[in-house]
Amino acid sequence: MAATGGGKTYSFKVVLLGEGCVGKTSLVLRYCENKFNDKHITTLQASFLTKKLNITGRRVNLAIWDTAGQERFHALGPIYYRDSNGAVLVYDITDMDSFQKVKNWVKELRKMLGNDICLCIVGKILLLQTRFSGGAIVVVYSYAESVGAKHYHTSAKLNKGIEEMFLDLCKRMMETAQAEERLKGNGASQSASSRRGVQIVDDEPQATPTGGCCSSG
Amino acid sequence: MSQRRAIHVDPSELLCTKGCGFYGNAAWQGLCSKCWRDENQREKQKQIQEDWALAERLQREEEEAYAYRQQRTQPHSTPIKPLSKLEERKTKEKPSRVNSVTKLFTAKTPSKKDVSFDAHSSPSPSSSTGRHSSADSDITTKEFIDFLKPLKSGREIFKQCRAFTESMIYKRDIEVDEFSECVQDFYQNLSDRLLTQFKGSSEHVESVMDEVEKYIMIRLYKDVFCPETTDDEKKDLAIQKRIRSLHWVTIEMLCVPVDEEIPEVSDSVVKAITDVIEMDSKRVPKDKLACVTRCSKHIFNAIKVSTKEAASADDFLPTLIYIVLKANPPRLQSNIQYITRFCNPSRLMTGEDGYYFTNLCCAVAFIEKLDGPSLNLSPEEFELYMSGQASPHWPPPTAACSSATGSAALTQVNQSMDLLTGLGVRQERVLEKARQMESDLIDWTDEVEQKVQSVLDSLPAGTPELPVTTDSGTTPTAASSAIDSDNVENELLPPPLQPQVFAG
Repeated sequence: MAATGGGKTYSFKVVLLGEGCVGKTSLVLRYCENKFNDKHITTLQASFLTKKLNITGRRVNLAIWDTAGQERFHALGPIYYRDSNGAVLVYDITDMDSFQKVKNWVKELRKMLGNDICLCIVGKILLLQTRFSGGAIVVVYSYAESVGAKHYHTSAKLNKGIEEMFLDLCKRMMETAQAEERLKGNGASQSASSRRGVQIVDDEPQATPTGGCCSSG
Repeated sequence: MSQRRAIHVDPSELLCTKGCGFYGNAAWQGLCSKCWRDENQREKQKQIQEDWALAERLQREEEEAYAYRQQRTQPHSTPIKPLSKLEERKTKEKPSRVNSVTKLFTAKTPSKKDVSFDAHSSPSPSSSTGRHSSADSDITTKEFIDFLKPLKSGREIFKQCRAFTESMIYKRDIEVDEFSECVQDFYQNLSDRLLTQFKGSSEHVESVMDEVEKYIMIRLYKDVFCPETTDDEKKDLAIQKRIRSLHWVTIEMLCVPVDEEIPEVSDSVVKAITDVIEMDSKRVPKDKLACVTRCSKHIFNAIKVSTKEAASADDFLPTLIYIVLKANPPRLQSNIQYITRFCNPSRLMTGEDGYYFTNLCCAVAFIEKLDGPSLNLSPEEFELYMSGQASPHWPPPTAACSSATGSAALTQVNQSMDLLTGLGVRQERVLEKARQMESDLIDWTDEVEQKVQSVLDSLPAGTPELPVTTDSGTTPTAASSAIDSDNVENELLPPPLQPQVFAG
């Protein structure tokens, strides 16, 4: 994979979806700032956070976009997750309604963005002792598999599972991006902003050098 | 010229350098207005001709490329615009635009070999005649050149940007989306080239692209902001009207976690409103975005002070909606469209600015679709509020409530009336007493006067006044000594302590 353009940096946009107050905020704050319920939170906000990673020698810039999870803002989802590379869908394992919301989002995301987007379904647990029925687990895991998503159990309080979840998501996003580059034939443009068509401007760069003024360097 | 500022001025130096007998002016290179106009006209004409040639060459190239593209992609599509029409517009535009745009480059155009960036440093005499907007873009051009000067590839970048901008000016008749496509393609191409050909680091390329965006968009702003070919203006008016009709929406309905009672919070809210309004006054997409970002930061501050927690999107979006409703920013849709079309795409897609901008788009979309349930209101209530028949600031119009509150209000009114009458009575009493006191005072002064008069009369007529005063002056000492002498016990007291000096 190093064949395509050496030290190029990947920039990924990840949206964070989940019903209001399922703990999206504490999840990202734990991941990006390693803080939980801190009384001295210095960050002004927890809705847009970035994280720089180094995965197998490649630099990755992760931009995590929190979204408003209240039901009345549901219709605004497409504006948020346009052009995103990944999505983290959070639900509370003690609240199966929030899992239903996750299902709706998955359906929407797949419809709007196809398979270009990598999904992670995250069940939030507050305490490890929380017991839940084995049947539910099976349902959740098989559902995640059926929609091509990975499922994780995380706890922001215990700092468990979060790091792994994001790492795996990044790896998958990198794979997707690389596959896309290969498909294009050249690895020139990293982002999804590669534009189609022949442009008028294209001719000018070639025309101006003939003026013989820029070769002087 | 500088001698003219000295005190001794030779009158001959004030005259027009052409020797026509009229006075000259430093701003006109020492010429009088008439000679200057002649001179300038000639220069302008020359420039115009040069520009014309350049424009025509560009136009040809453009059209070839366009035709080529049309052939390749969609042979049946719209025919190329007739040249005559374009030319007609060109002649119209020439004096204002082309002149100002090219003014700074004419020095280099003739001699391609020693293209230098300091062409602009020579005083450009015609700048005083330029219009405000062109003066503005002149400044940005200078800044742009200054920025590019230290770069190895600066010259190349500048040439490309200039050629691109010039070519775009002649194409503003095309659909704005296509226009935006061209600009975006240009950004993409240039940044790709910078990355690969000139081996710039990505941060460096980004800063260059910011300047490029500024340079291009200042020039094209007038033509592509809220263009006539779109219905942006209609949308602007629609959203403005919509926001105005939603004036009754309260913080509670939106569940905004902001407490405006706290001075710092209300301060932040005001600042946020100012910033989002300010967006309209900027011309570069990046500057507009910066306004949105500043607005968002103020909102975050307001939330943090109110809730003592870092704000999540669950808090942020409702607050932003509230701010937009309160601010009703001018030309909101045009601004959003303009940023979407002409901002550097990487900034919009992953950057922090992009996130806030997306939230603004969400807020606008929400306001457009706003209905009762999304404000936790029943549809009937929503209708009542929208039609202005009721307001959440008044008591709710239900029957039971209104009678209860009505009687409450009545009793309150009665109480107030009682209080008022009581006050009136008391005030009257105060006035009466005051009048009495006044008459008492008058009586008293009369009395005093009478007494003084009687005393004066009783005194013998020839008595000198001085002895009286000396008498009164001596009496106190005599009295005090008398008091002391009365005090017999004084003699029993020990003698007063005398200060002693010890040789330390």
